[in-house]
Amino acid sequence: MWTRIKDAMCGVSALMIVAAAAGPVAAQSKAPIRIGEINSYSGLATVYTFPYREGLLMATKEINDAGGVLGRPIEFIFRDDKLKPDEAVKAARELVGQEKVDFLAGCISSGVGLAISAYAKEAKVLYIATHCQTSRLTWDDGHKYVAHTTNNVNQYVRALAQKAASMRYKKWAHISPDYEYGHNVWEEFSAYLKQLKPDVEFVQQNWPKLGETDHSSYVTALLQSGADAFLSSVWGAQEIAFVKQARPFGLFEKVHYFSASVGNPDELDPLGKEAPVGAITPGFAWYDDGMQKRHPKLAEWVKKYEARAKKEPTLGASWGYASAYIIAEAIKRAKSADTDKVITAFSEGFEMEFPWGKVIMRGCDQQAIPPQWVGVVRMNAQGKPVLADVEEVHGKDVIKSCDEVAKLRAAAAEKKK
Amino acid sequence: MSGLSVGMFLFLVSVGMSLIFGVTRIVNLAHGSFYMVGAYLMVTLVEVLPDRPWAFWLALLLAPLGVAVLGAVIEVGLLRLIYHRDPLMQLILTFGLILVISTLVLLAWGPDNKSVSRPDALAGSVRIFGQPFPSYYLLVLGLAPVVAVGLWLIFYRTRWGMLIRAATVDREMLGALGVNVAALYTQVFAFGSWLAGLGGALAAPTVAVALGMDGDVLTTAFVVVVIGGLGSFAGSFISALLVGLLQSFGILVFPAVSIVLLFAIMAVVLVVRPWGLLGRPEE
Repeated sequence: MWTRIKDAMCGVSALMIVAAAAGPVAAQSKAPIRIGEINSYSGLATVYTFPYREGLLMATKEINDAGGVLGRPIEFIFRDDKLKPDEAVKAARELVGQEKVDFLAGCISSGVGLAISAYAKEAKVLYIATHCQTSRLTWDDGHKYVAHTTNNVNQYVRALAQKAASMRYKKWAHISPDYEYGHNVWEEFSAYLKQLKPDVEFVQQNWPKLGETDHSSYVTALLQSGADAFLSSVWGAQEIAFVKQARPFGLFEKVHYFSASVGNPDELDPLGKEAPVGAITPGFAWYDDGMQKRHPKLAEWVKKYEARAKKEPTLGASWGYASAYIIAEAIKRAKSADTDKVITAFSEGFEMEFPWGKVIMRGCDQQAIPPQWVGVVRMNAQGKPVLADVEEVHGKDVIKSCDEVAKLRAAAAEKKK
Repeated sequence: MSGLSVGMFLFLVSVGMSLIFGVTRIVNLAHGSFYMVGAYLMVTLVEVLPDRPWAFWLALLLAPLGVAVLGAVIEVGLLRLIYHRDPLMQLILTFGLILVISTLVLLAWGPDNKSVSRPDALAGSVRIFGQPFPSYYLLVLGLAPVVAVGLWLIFYRTRWGMLIRAATVDREMLGALGVNVAALYTQVFAFGSWLAGLGGALAAPTVAVALGMDGDVLTTAFVVVVIGGLGSFAGSFISALLVGLLQSFGILVFPAVSIVLLFAIMAVVLVVRPWGLLGRPEE
């Protein structure tokens, strides 16, 4: 029943959002290159997708103000997927069939990304996945009609595992939501950690369901596990609840907390003074001195983003921004908006400089390889939690190689038979 | 212990739902939305009020009242028009309210996750039987039984409570005796909303205040009310405890089936006693 309620709710707000988002595009004489953008613009994922869309539209405006791509403006046509694969595919069909878009883009949910990708393969339309992170998209289930312009789980989890391996902890536990993402993170993390540091032991596992609100029994279990450190891949509202419930038990003082996502502002800001100081986590710490020194153009980009969005940027905002530029670059290299030619451009691979460093679009799997950052949660002078001591590793130094990806694809193809 | 405190949250929310159903015969699907609004109001009040220890308690008092006002407005403006319509119409209306409220919350508070800090006095933990236990949960463990006893006193020791009990049995007769039933409905609806708001305001410091918290709580509260018996307060209390303990221990003992287990119990109750553990069969 609840799904149906959500459905209807999403429908209502989707209309409003689409109307608001389709926004003005600089008037140019030539017909625009049109990209259907399917993402979750209602309900609980909006905390990620709204900043992402700001970044995307900011880049679109810059590109169009500078004359567009091949003299044509680019235009995104937004659709709400309601976080559901079937809704997303419905929107994809409509965008391709009625709106006659040149390409498809978008996704925050991995399930949605995989569903659009399957549709794109069958319909022979190029789908540029932008915001979801599952590695399966371009690896196990990869094909030439899908490219992925942002990080995948493999890279940031390996960066985190690399940091973990450099520390003294031997006994590990974890708490991960019991669905594909949670399993994916734990498998990647534990395997890479074991590879880097063969004497680690995995002493205990916790699998709360996705969206669980009461974590007391897992907190007790972690306290009694005897682990030196644990990895969390619960995220968003659920991780906030977990942190708030674990604090009074003193969990973070007894077992070192590693998290796949607690360093993102959508979690740190609301946690405020209850933030888990000392936690080690990836994150886009644009405010960090070291970050700004390494990337001198970052501060200016942040200023521009804030002027536009009236909010501080998030990792998702940087991804939206980068995605629009990467799509434009591929079209530029193809010298055409023709699907096959743009696919050729992606499959040849290219590199781009962004205010936060180099992003490699790797040809063999059409997967983006950005820089990775891992830091420690600390309180700044104003008593606000921030990510500090940020270390940078480039994704290219940790990501699975093209050969490994080929093996994954072969294994997946074997499984299907 | 933590199972007990989960049960107490559930009790506060579900008893309001049960109360509203008992008197007005409306299954208020928007009850979870009232819970969410209670939590969001708590966020705003704590932000707006000066940063003093008493601010938290004042907010805890005001936020549920705000929800009660919202409930009263909705009752007078919308529900009053459809009491005599098909129950399906009432379901559709409260469905609609979920969508409207959730969109309004998104517009008013934005998409970001929010959070309320516990008051400093309750931020730590105490040792009970040698195990650390968050002291904030003690507040909840203490408050819910107070509410339960308060409800009992109101229902069985005051004239207003007597009228409410009378309304659950025969509202036409009550009207014929000269009681202003319309006003009584508004009061009951506002009171039920207050309980939902109190649940939300109390829960706010233990979770993230975020879009979607309405749906999670609605499903569980609904199960609680159905197991306990629609309209039965003692039933809500017992079944809230049962569900709370089940959710906490179930995941430890049978992690794979704990979600199914909840609904399985509801199904068994519905088969054996379709009117719930302590409910009354419809005549």
